[in-house]
Amino acid sequence: MFASFVQGPLVRVIPLGLVLLALQRTIFVEIQVGGVIIQIMMAMAAAAGVAGGSERGAIVGFTLGVMFDLAEGTPLGSTATAMTIAGAVGGLLALIAADPHWWLEAIFTALGTAAGVAMIPLLRAFIGESEPFQRQLLVVLAVVAAAAAIMSPVLVPLARWCLRMRRPEWKQPVGETS
Amino acid sequence: MAIYSVGRKRVILALLLTTVLLLTLDLRGNPVIDAAREGFTRVMRPVETATGVVTNPIERIWRGITDYDDLERENIALQEQVDRLIGTQAAAEAAVIEGRELQALYSLPSLSGIDTEVARVVGYAANNLDQVIEIDKGSASGIEVGMAVVNQAGLVGKVTQVTRTSARVMLVTDSRYTVAVKVTSAAASEVEAPDNTSPSGLSEAEVAAQATTTTTTAPTPSGPVVPGLTLPDGSPVPDTTLPGVALGPDGQPVIDPLTGRPLTAEQIAALFDALGTPTTSTTVAGGAVTEVGETATESSTTTTTTTTTTLAEVIEKEYGALEGRGRLRLPQIKFLQDSPSLSELVAGDLVETAGGSESLAPPGIPVGRVLNRADRPGSRGPLLDVELHADLARLNFVRVVLYKPLSEVEQ
Repeated sequence: MFASFVQGPLVRVIPLGLVLLALQRTIFVEIQVGGVIIQIMMAMAAAAGVAGGSERGAIVGFTLGVMFDLAEGTPLGSTATAMTIAGAVGGLLALIAADPHWWLEAIFTALGTAAGVAMIPLLRAFIGESEPFQRQLLVVLAVVAAAAAIMSPVLVPLARWCLRMRRPEWKQPVGETS
Repeated sequence: MAIYSVGRKRVILALLLTTVLLLTLDLRGNPVIDAAREGFTRVMRPVETATGVVTNPIERIWRGITDYDDLERENIALQEQVDRLIGTQAAAEAAVIEGRELQALYSLPSLSGIDTEVARVVGYAANNLDQVIEIDKGSASGIEVGMAVVNQAGLVGKVTQVTRTSARVMLVTDSRYTVAVKVTSAAASEVEAPDNTSPSGLSEAEVAAQATTTTTTAPTPSGPVVPGLTLPDGSPVPDTTLPGVALGPDGQPVIDPLTGRPLTAEQIAALFDALGTPTTSTTVAGGAVTEVGETATESSTTTTTTTTTTLAEVIEKEYGALEGRGRLRLPQIKFLQDSPSLSELVAGDLVETAGGSESLAPPGIPVGRVLNRADRPGSRGPLLDVELHADLARLNFVRVVLYKPLSEVEQ
């Protein structure tokens, strides 16, 4: 069990999550775009889905989400659910292309992030919060998704490192050489 | 490349179910989760401090690029505001001190008797939904969940989570925030924009009149008596059309035992109104109230005073519930019944906390001013948009009001 933990993704995801969480709570609170806080942890969850598939993306999203909820004081599981979905959606979208270009990865990351952010008010509504849907939700979605797309060239390789994965290399079959 | 399968779907479903389980446990209140939260916060603190040190230069560069013009404009506006406030500060301080002394004298509820704990704001919420700040004081400083948080301008929010050395404060603008408030009429001078540019905001004539206020408090030899009102010792309340003192039955001024200063007839009448002291006869009482009002009006037209006339002009119009509505949206007051025959709720009215036996916010904390009024069909009453006194986007230091409602104190 210990060996599987050490060899699994969590041993890298948790330290990375701590750093990302610290960035989220410091610099990204200060540097807002149009009054919207960029969600780097959500983007990381989606990027993990794009890099490693929906299952690994969901695991990374769940881990990052629990860390976020613990640090932020939000109901434990509310952001974790949203980030799990972000990772799963990112992974599902990545099935479209076998070896997506960087710009396709950026689009998948953006869509996964947007799906996760859109889930947060929905979950808050389920737990009885009044008026969780804000007027500027569309603006928030647009800004957060755009920021995730911009950050994806960094986040997707970082996710691959966390998941101990390498970019797939496509080789020509031996018989067709020459 | 990842391949989608039933097994993968099971993992995702298991994770989602786990989150639902965690959510349920947390919402029902779980000490293990609370301990985990506090432990994680401790682990995070050094990482966050280190990250803050590294990212601080980047933040400053960003702010220098984006906020420079705004800061320059704001600096000019603030300088004008400071010039104006310096002029009115002395008069305001005198009024506040006098008000506190009178409240203490007659055992009226006052904010001045409640302890507060000053705390520094150390963080804002990192998501786009919650309006929460974190402060650097916690249960070790006597802070408890539910306590009101204010700054120099007015109400900021309430404490929602407390650890030993830190606490989270839900801001008034958070969509989960609700507090009982009362709407009071604002004096006309407070609503209208000042039309002169003198540093104090007062005209030369007003300044001259204020300067002579202290000289007009000399006792007069004799004067009429306010009918229907009696002093605590049973003697009638003397009246005078002068701005000075009220005279006792012996022809001597009624002296405030705390300050040693004489009280005016208006102050005495205002105190009786506030205390709701019954008068000796109901038929005479109606006439007496009218007569006191007339006397006060007459006094204010013949002289210029700063404090006593303001007390008489404030009218409690209505009570309601102030609710936050999220980022960039003004809080609203609901559950109001507008009665134009008594008083009409209008833009410019002042809003302050209403208190109550179970409210964690003591009465009298200034909240803001009514900015808009929206009428609704039927009997649902109007909605009032409230512009907050406190600038919640720029909080550096706040005060936690260490207040417990009467219902908890008795327990």
